[in-house]
Amino acid sequence: MIKLEEVYVEDFMSPGCVGCPAVKAMLEELSDELECELIIEEVDITVDATRAAQYGIMSVPAVAINGILKFVGLPDRKELKDAIIEELEG
Amino acid sequence: MPSDSKDKRIGVFICHCGKNIAGGVDIEALLQSIRETPGVKFVAENRYSCSEDGQIDIQNAIQDQELDRVIIAACAPSLHLMTFQRCGESAGIEPSFVDLIDIRKWTMHGNPEKVDPDEALERSKKLIKQAVKRMSLKRVIPQVVVKTEPSVLVIGGGVAGLEAALDLADKGYEVNLVERLPTIGGKMALLYKVFPTNDCAPCILAPKTAYANIHPGINLLTYSEVTAVEGYIGNFSVKVTRKPRYINEDSCTGCGLCVEKCPQKVIDSVYSAGIGERKAIYIPYDLAIPKKAVIDDENCLYMKTGACRLCEDECPTDAIDFDQESRTIELKAGAIIVATGFDEYNPTEKTEYGYDRYDNVITQYQLARILDIDGPTKGKLLRPSDGKEPQNIAMIQCVGSRDENTNEYCSSICCMYALKHAQIIREMVLPDTEIYICYIDMRTAGKNFEAYYRRTRELGINFIRGRPGEIIEETDTKNLIMKVEDPDLGRLLNLEVEMVVLSCATLPSEGTEQLSGILGTALDENGFYQEVHPKLRPVETNVRGIYICGAAQGPKDIPDSIVQAKAAASCVDGELRKGEIKLPEFIVKTTGPDKEG
Repeated sequence: MIKLEEVYVEDFMSPGCVGCPAVKAMLEELSDELECELIIEEVDITVDATRAAQYGIMSVPAVAINGILKFVGLPDRKELKDAIIEELEG
Repeated sequence: MPSDSKDKRIGVFICHCGKNIAGGVDIEALLQSIRETPGVKFVAENRYSCSEDGQIDIQNAIQDQELDRVIIAACAPSLHLMTFQRCGESAGIEPSFVDLIDIRKWTMHGNPEKVDPDEALERSKKLIKQAVKRMSLKRVIPQVVVKTEPSVLVIGGGVAGLEAALDLADKGYEVNLVERLPTIGGKMALLYKVFPTNDCAPCILAPKTAYANIHPGINLLTYSEVTAVEGYIGNFSVKVTRKPRYINEDSCTGCGLCVEKCPQKVIDSVYSAGIGERKAIYIPYDLAIPKKAVIDDENCLYMKTGACRLCEDECPTDAIDFDQESRTIELKAGAIIVATGFDEYNPTEKTEYGYDRYDNVITQYQLARILDIDGPTKGKLLRPSDGKEPQNIAMIQCVGSRDENTNEYCSSICCMYALKHAQIIREMVLPDTEIYICYIDMRTAGKNFEAYYRRTRELGINFIRGRPGEIIEETDTKNLIMKVEDPDLGRLLNLEVEMVVLSCATLPSEGTEQLSGILGTALDENGFYQEVHPKLRPVETNVRGIYICGAAQGPKDIPDSIVQAKAAASCVDGELRKGEIKLPEFIVKTTGPDKEG
């Protein structure tokens, strides 16, 4: 098993999105909680539509972890945490 | 299985884009900073990365340096990401391991995001380092191949939607054409004539509406709205709500006997722009397709009071069905084209023009309906206040357009339709009526448009390069008085006219925001559908498989709407013609018809 020390999270959002601030807040909390470097990039799909299209994202919020789309819609906090841990543990 | 980021061999290529990037940022300092970035194995610069030479340099570096991740710092991904993904793929790199990031927006003259060179350097460093980190941890996006539905949903039955539907149906796709109103044809069917040929609008539209009505590949769903969309390109699942006409469409022959008998008259705000009346049961207009009656349930006496049903007694085919209810049907679609058109700006908030206070102030769309020989006044141009023929008319341009208090954009078609109406009045309706067009600039860019403008001037129409600050109504005569400063003449003109026509802005059609929410498509700052790239990808949206055309994308005339409709149809065909498509596995699993959970 290969253990990573860092995880790259792409947080897809748009300015008018209702659920997006909740995902942002969850990620910020998990960043403090997990013993790893959680690199969070906020991707505004109205600015960078191409990145969203690469993943096939039709709606926000959506979360990709290390290049793999994991959630579309508001994720459950535990599921989000587990997905990050799964990436860390490989 | 994730692997250690230390194994990755990342190459970064910084494009000069001629002077577009190199002229606005210190390339040498940027190269130096990226060389020192952990995880970067190779850094190079190209004068034009997208050129043949630039791409060969990237491919050679991939092979010589054994790179397995590539980042190009250049222009917008919407413009060139595919170029570099193809470049990388031919050198053996998986497309999702090639990234393009936009640093040019901060350096290029004319870009609203341009910043000073020091700031551009700092921002570029940060963005490239972020991309390096992202690429070092990124795994391949798992892809799967899925079959695509050979059917298309077209939303909007105006000229753009019709053109796209016919193009695709002729190519062999099954098309469901959804129209919110009871008839197809959209605004064009109600314009009477079209510039710059002054052709009869319904006459040149009729071949398309008639063909769409009988085309075996087109299913017309009028008086219907899209209420839900799920899925992904190739496999959209759509819910369409069909409003009740209270008429059995198969039985109705469009004879109109029910309309004649109906005792209830109401103002027709849709097909007569509020100028004329219709009955509570009505057929929109003579050339309506489908030519079927519809009952307006808000105004029908039977619906309101429980008494009447005269239409039912009169109908020779027993087509009236008061028990009809709204119903929702489900459709499959491989792709979706949005052609929902525009609405005319309501100038009430421009209180200085008195639209809601003065009877003789109307809009150009209302004038179009008045001039129409099949319209509410049968083509007679009479003042609303007293039914007299106006001896002089002023048209005011840019009402709600190019105005920082309402809409800053140019609505693009208003100059031309004002010229058209001036020509029609002068040549066909009231030759002796004096016409004034008060404008900021006359914008007549388009094939044969300038000649059309010149011809209007030659007809003796008066052009005043200025707009009135305020219109006052003369109480006794109901004439309209205004002061206009004409800088070309260098003097203040006092105009008294019998009628004023406002050339109002073109707005996104009602319901655009709601539909964009259903589709997951982005809107621009003015509320029109946002294209991926304004020049190079004008009919694609942020959602693959959903395309836009016509005035839904922005104000435009009929020829441009037709061109976009054909472009959107071509995009759909390009995606669906193979019958299968490669997509991210996650999307297929979570949003498709066979989704998990």
